[in-house]
Amino acid sequence: MNRNSNIALGSIGFAFLVLVAAFVFNLWGHPATTPSIPLVDKKFVDTSPSRVSIAEFLRKGGDPSDYECNICHEKNKPIKIKFDADNNIILPKEHLDIVLGHGSHKRNNNCYNCHDETNLELLQTRDGRQLKLVDSTPLCGSCHGPTYRDWEAGVHGRTSGFWDRELGDYSRLGCASCHNPHAPKFPGREPAPGPHALHPIAKAPAHNEAERNHE
Amino acid sequence: MTPKLSCSSGGCSGGGNGGMNRRSFLRTSGVLASGIAALAASLAPLRDLTDYTSAAEFMQTHYKELSKDDMDKVLDRITREVEKQYSIRPHVKDYKPMDGVEFVYCLNLTRCIGCRKCVHACVAENNQSRDPEIQYIRVLKMPHGSFDMEKGDHNYATPTVPEKGFFYMPVQCQQCKNPPCVKVCPVKATWQEADGITVIDYDWCIGCRYCEAACPYFARRFNWTKPSIPKDRINPEMSYLGNRPRKQGVMEKCHFCIQRTRAGKYPACLEVCPAGARKFGNILDPNSEVSYILRNKKVFVQLKEELGTSPRFFYYFDV
Repeated sequence: MNRNSNIALGSIGFAFLVLVAAFVFNLWGHPATTPSIPLVDKKFVDTSPSRVSIAEFLRKGGDPSDYECNICHEKNKPIKIKFDADNNIILPKEHLDIVLGHGSHKRNNNCYNCHDETNLELLQTRDGRQLKLVDSTPLCGSCHGPTYRDWEAGVHGRTSGFWDRELGDYSRLGCASCHNPHAPKFPGREPAPGPHALHPIAKAPAHNEAERNHE
Repeated sequence: MTPKLSCSSGGCSGGGNGGMNRRSFLRTSGVLASGIAALAASLAPLRDLTDYTSAAEFMQTHYKELSKDDMDKVLDRITREVEKQYSIRPHVKDYKPMDGVEFVYCLNLTRCIGCRKCVHACVAENNQSRDPEIQYIRVLKMPHGSFDMEKGDHNYATPTVPEKGFFYMPVQCQQCKNPPCVKVCPVKATWQEADGITVIDYDWCIGCRYCEAACPYFARRFNWTKPSIPKDRINPEMSYLGNRPRKQGVMEKCHFCIQRTRAGKYPACLEVCPAGARKFGNILDPNSEVSYILRNKKVFVQLKEELGTSPRFFYYFDV
């Protein structure tokens, strides 16, 4: 009897000591680790416009000489535009940096559709108004009526600032701050990193894509 | 020496004579000591517990019962806690709904290019945990010609977006008029405000995740671990019901950037969108952008409208 209780007490004590060791050295209960997530590049939270329009470029003190057309061109002497056999425009070597892709057809490849042939520092709308290069938005509107109407309502394009106009200023970007007037299709870009699991996912294969995605 | 050790029958040394000698006492106390050591060692993880609830927070009453003075004290406490944790002095305010304002969000599916900038602008604005990374917005890549959510992929990682043949549909809290998440909360820690924003009081949430289960849009996120935010990425403009730092074990979700929108500004996801696909405003104002959209655009759906949740988040097409 006494010997049995000695054995029992001894084994209980030993079990307790094993538990102490287990808890102190943390032998189990390690949470499964997930790979650490790198901080996202700050370019993905940048709110600046997708491109720099002429107006913005000049406002920030850029060199205006590229837009002083009459240094090379003479007023009231329109240059004849050359086309190849496929009706593609042949750009002179001074303007080879321009990529012309306005519309998916080849009909809108005439410089004078937008530029004023009598004074290349100006733009001309379809209804005969002359506009400065920095005021191109109404020119775009002279063809893209519904989009221009949306833009005026603040519904097409980017807005920032205050939705409540009584509390603060609100700004609306012009067409050329997002679209290149010579090739207006909005270009593709690199997507920011996708989602990560919020907790370690069990090794067992998920049944389907939706389940694997679900956190 | 005590004549008898009180213990359960059978287990103790006692033997036949019923007394206790020096040897059996030492034996018993040795076992007891190792038992206590094991108990103490088992509590070791408590040493890592630094993010405990302060007495003031524990005694705090429900948000709707807080007086102005109470709220000032609470904001003061939060300011101190944030300053201690992130070494930055925040401006914590309790923004109230504005009179005559009901917020509505409109998202132009023709314009969205799936770049996910809104996702990360939201994370930066609203002080979400970076590791693990909590994101309120999910962008679904969907094949053209289908609105089957099962076909949506949110893990796309193509070198460039948009991809031909797909459209992109960002999903976030829809700020429902009839929110199922609010109904299931057992402690009323989440509710709908007068301007339509469904908010969470992080100090009242018990972390049961019922709301997460109830939400048909997967809009709610749970803090499984202690949130981690680098000190230099904290946004110091904070609101009580919005982007103040959260604790482990509470829910969070999109709140239309309360700290911005209730001060009259656009939400962060809208301002960062390079395509201008996101529009936001007051639906009670007939001259607002969202009113124009609902009047003139092809607003095709409130997501899962058959559920009767009546979202304040509308998806529309151009033309």
